[in-house]
Amino acid sequence: MLALRWAASSRSRDGVTLNAHTNMPAAPTRSAVARLTFCLALLAGVAFYVACLVIADISLAKLWEGLPRLASWAARAWPPDFSEFPVLAWRAAETVAMATVGVTFGAIIAAPVCLLAARNTTPSPWLQQPARWLLNVLRGIDSFVFALIFVAAVGLGPFAGVLGIAVHSAGSIAKLWSEAIETAEPGPREAATMSGAGQLKVFLYAMLPDVMPQLASILLYLWEFNVRSSTVLGIVGAGGIGQELKNSMDLLQFDRLFAILLIILAMVTVIDTLSAWLRRRLL
Amino acid sequence: MSNHPALRAYGISKAYGGMQALRDVSLSLRSGEVVAVLGPSGSGKSTLMRCLTRLTEPDSGEIFVGARALHGARGQDLRNVRRDIGVVFQQFNLIRRRSALENVLAGRLKDAPLWRVATSHFSSQDLERAHEALAAVGLAAQCHQRADTLSGGQQQRVAIARALAQDSKVLLADEPVASLDPDTAHAVLALMANLAASKGLAVLCTLHQPQMAQAYANRVLTMKNGQLTHEGQRVPSM
Repeated sequence: MLALRWAASSRSRDGVTLNAHTNMPAAPTRSAVARLTFCLALLAGVAFYVACLVIADISLAKLWEGLPRLASWAARAWPPDFSEFPVLAWRAAETVAMATVGVTFGAIIAAPVCLLAARNTTPSPWLQQPARWLLNVLRGIDSFVFALIFVAAVGLGPFAGVLGIAVHSAGSIAKLWSEAIETAEPGPREAATMSGAGQLKVFLYAMLPDVMPQLASILLYLWEFNVRSSTVLGIVGAGGIGQELKNSMDLLQFDRLFAILLIILAMVTVIDTLSAWLRRRLL
Repeated sequence: MSNHPALRAYGISKAYGGMQALRDVSLSLRSGEVVAVLGPSGSGKSTLMRCLTRLTEPDSGEIFVGARALHGARGQDLRNVRRDIGVVFQQFNLIRRRSALENVLAGRLKDAPLWRVATSHFSSQDLERAHEALAAVGLAAQCHQRADTLSGGQQQRVAIARALAQDSKVLLADEPVASLDPDTAHAVLALMANLAASKGLAVLCTLHQPQMAQAYANRVLTMKNGQLTHEGQRVPSM
């Protein structure tokens, strides 16, 4: 355990695997300090978690009181009410469409930004940091929040949802893309650079083909993720099946609500399976 | 033909932190000659090769390719001078998912319009040059094979073809045969020596086997602790 931790810390320092000769047990003073640090970190972690439990207002009593209500709703949800299936299916299609278009718009925004944000393609460190800050801002604000703002700006409906997904996903896509680009081997880039080509040509010709499967896989993952997460966008009036979910909840129509949940489940399962299959083919 | 040597370097120095990797290295390379650089690992051979291309920026020194200065060049000037230097690396550095032909075409990127580069749709002249270059290294039949399916020796020959397609005047090869078996290594070195003689390329090649340097180089430089310690027609007796 001790030797492992020592080996791990040495490896992260110089980036190579230790050979048998240098992989010696740590000196006693060092191990004592390391153990103390570890205990303190553990203690801080436990304290943090306890604080979270208190702040989150965890109460088993309240859950106990609420259980009968949940049970009666569950009883009223059966059988699911599919009488409005065409409407619900249309809303589900709206959700898939919003996620698909939103993610492609996000990718268009992300493409130039990820080149600025990746260490090995950025034209200058002075652009790299601001690009990263921008990505963190976009990623830090949920598409739900963006959709709320866009509903106010462009009105109710799926378009607001598309914009919300696009802006938030642009941040996620660009961050993941720039990380994928950073894993590209430097060799082909250096060889192409020596042909006298500029940086954009070098990226397009010598780097993009090798990282393309990863970039496409990331995009598919975000598409799948957004189909799942955009089911709630309807709650703020930004279109999709979430709208129906909220209506049913407000009217306490639990059988209709159950039908909606089943449709969401089916939709998400199909999209997840499709995306996973496509990503396996890519990598 | 110009009367300038193909490549001249004066007083190249490079330090990494406190470690002096290169001390005041000067050398000159004529068209058509093969010069080998010998030295133990850590002697600064690879740093020298990287500094001569400015893929690693030297701390000081001057580099001329023909009459043109590489040191201090920026932007378009830098790209113009670099175009005259073809590079062959120990690890070949091919674009794995592209074909042999497309890898050779990487040598033609500079003058190709951006849309052709982005769509990998090159002009017929560029394609012709690339096919010629592949034929010159004996890989005409493998032109559509993906780079990562070629053998090590074939990959290194694609890398040499890339330098040829670039119409470079100088070929810098950093341990080009260190990853290859002995027979393939001899074939690759013979090819480079051949191209130096037939096309007037100036070849600078780091090696760690003296016999190979003896067999293929017109001149041998030896390096130790970041300095050139010997220059002559023959490998110094060990």
